[in-house]
Amino acid sequence: MSSLPEGFAPLEPFAAEWAIEGTAARAARRDGMTTAEGEAFYAAGKDLLAPALDYLDAKGFAAFADQDRRLMAMMLSLAHVALAVELQGPDEAKHTKVRKFMVITKSPADAGLGHKNVG
Amino acid sequence: MRGFWGKVMNAPITSFTPTAPEDVAWLGTGPVPAAAYYDPIWYADEISAIFKQNWLQIGHICEVPDRGSFIRRELEFAAASLLIVRGADDVVRAFHNVCTHRGTQLVAAECGRAKTFSCRYHMWTYDGDGRLLSAPDFEQFGLDKADCGLPQVACEVVAGMIFVNLAKQPVQGLREYLGDLAMRMEELPIARATTFSEYHYEIDANWKLTYDNFQENYHLRFIHSRSGAAAFAPENPFGYPAAFGFHGEHRTQTLWSNPNPEIKQLQTLGFMRGFAALVAKGVVPSDGSNASGSRDYFALFPNFFLLGTPAQQFSHSVYPLGPEKSRGVIRLYWVGADSTPSERYAREYSMATARDIHAEDRGVITAGQRGLSSGALAHIHFQAQEALCRHLYNGVAARVNAWRVKKGDVG
Repeated sequence: MSSLPEGFAPLEPFAAEWAIEGTAARAARRDGMTTAEGEAFYAAGKDLLAPALDYLDAKGFAAFADQDRRLMAMMLSLAHVALAVELQGPDEAKHTKVRKFMVITKSPADAGLGHKNVG
Repeated sequence: MRGFWGKVMNAPITSFTPTAPEDVAWLGTGPVPAAAYYDPIWYADEISAIFKQNWLQIGHICEVPDRGSFIRRELEFAAASLLIVRGADDVVRAFHNVCTHRGTQLVAAECGRAKTFSCRYHMWTYDGDGRLLSAPDFEQFGLDKADCGLPQVACEVVAGMIFVNLAKQPVQGLREYLGDLAMRMEELPIARATTFSEYHYEIDANWKLTYDNFQENYHLRFIHSRSGAAAFAPENPFGYPAAFGFHGEHRTQTLWSNPNPEIKQLQTLGFMRGFAALVAKGVVPSDGSNASGSRDYFALFPNFFLLGTPAQQFSHSVYPLGPEKSRGVIRLYWVGADSTPSERYAREYSMATARDIHAEDRGVITAGQRGLSSGALAHIHFQAQEALCRHLYNGVAARVNAWRVKKGDVG
């Protein structure tokens, strides 16, 4: 059985690594990724982001199943990875060193979350 | 893309004429003493003359939504711990977080909700209005409970933001101090924000050096060449502001909008989804217009910024921690919880974007402090496009010098 909703099979190989709950944890995962990891996830996700958000919007938070929560978390991780791949590019490794000082303490995406990892 | 960007960034201003040097020459044009950015004696006088006398933003009413809601704030520069409480009468008050018995810090929790606050040492118990309700064996003291309430700190709210003033009797109320800026900020969505994203940083740099970085755009193209590329264009290669405004000790800039920025694929999607959510909630009209403050970046003396674009409302407070150390707290304020997964994505992307940019700033500011702290320079220089930095220095120097005269340090 797929860990993601139907139609998002190309993201399946990335679910274990990128379905991360918590904004700070997602930012930290970006810090720890290799260039190849980031580029591969971005390449797989960039054209699926809009369909994924459309699908999740239509469903609504209240009706989320585990597969939906996993897809949501992956798309939120993609937000961080996109900054690395689209904007920082070759400077990402250098940028990671200065980014670590900016400590994330609150995010609306974390509201009501436990610390359950849905990956 | 152009139409979209104009909507999201709400950008009626597309032509560009930089502020002319003669327009800001009234601020002075000479070099500025470097010692003000590292000298511990100057710093101590800043704390006395400014930070212990001035209105300071320390929170937002969305943090104390209910009667009994409280937050604790540590103001290290004054060695003060404050307790901010929404009382039973719905009024938000600030108190020194200190039991009036023998000075024990009363509340350890960062935030919460309580009807009463009890000191763990001897169980003196206060209500949300700061009154001493009970104390074991109190008759032994020979005191009146009415005289033993928590020491109150002046506290006022403007645009949903909570300000405190550590002076026993502030020289003026907050609204009077902010003048017309108070009304302009009241019209922004931050006034009805219900939640926020937050990150903070500590930095080995004087608070003014940290703060100044965020009120000049001269550095953008060099320090944010990748993350901020959308902010500059051939007609405005430095991304300079469209206008400066000076309001007593406060200042504003009107941000310039690049009419044709290069925007990446997921960057576009993040902004579009966020904008659609704001429209759906009625936070901004569908044409992106806003009655006022659409491109205003407020700088309230001494240490507070508020970016007032409809698409993004972020605040940035820079707290002094020492002559060469400060802390920045950045918040992106939001109206309502995440209404849709798209809005959640947009908020995540928005905070991550701002954090990336601020991370780049932090690195170069520390390099600036190392240079200044070496004592190699007697002076530093501000060009016309760094007029807001000069205005801050002028305001600080005026306060410090007046303080020194009052103390009798100088004739």
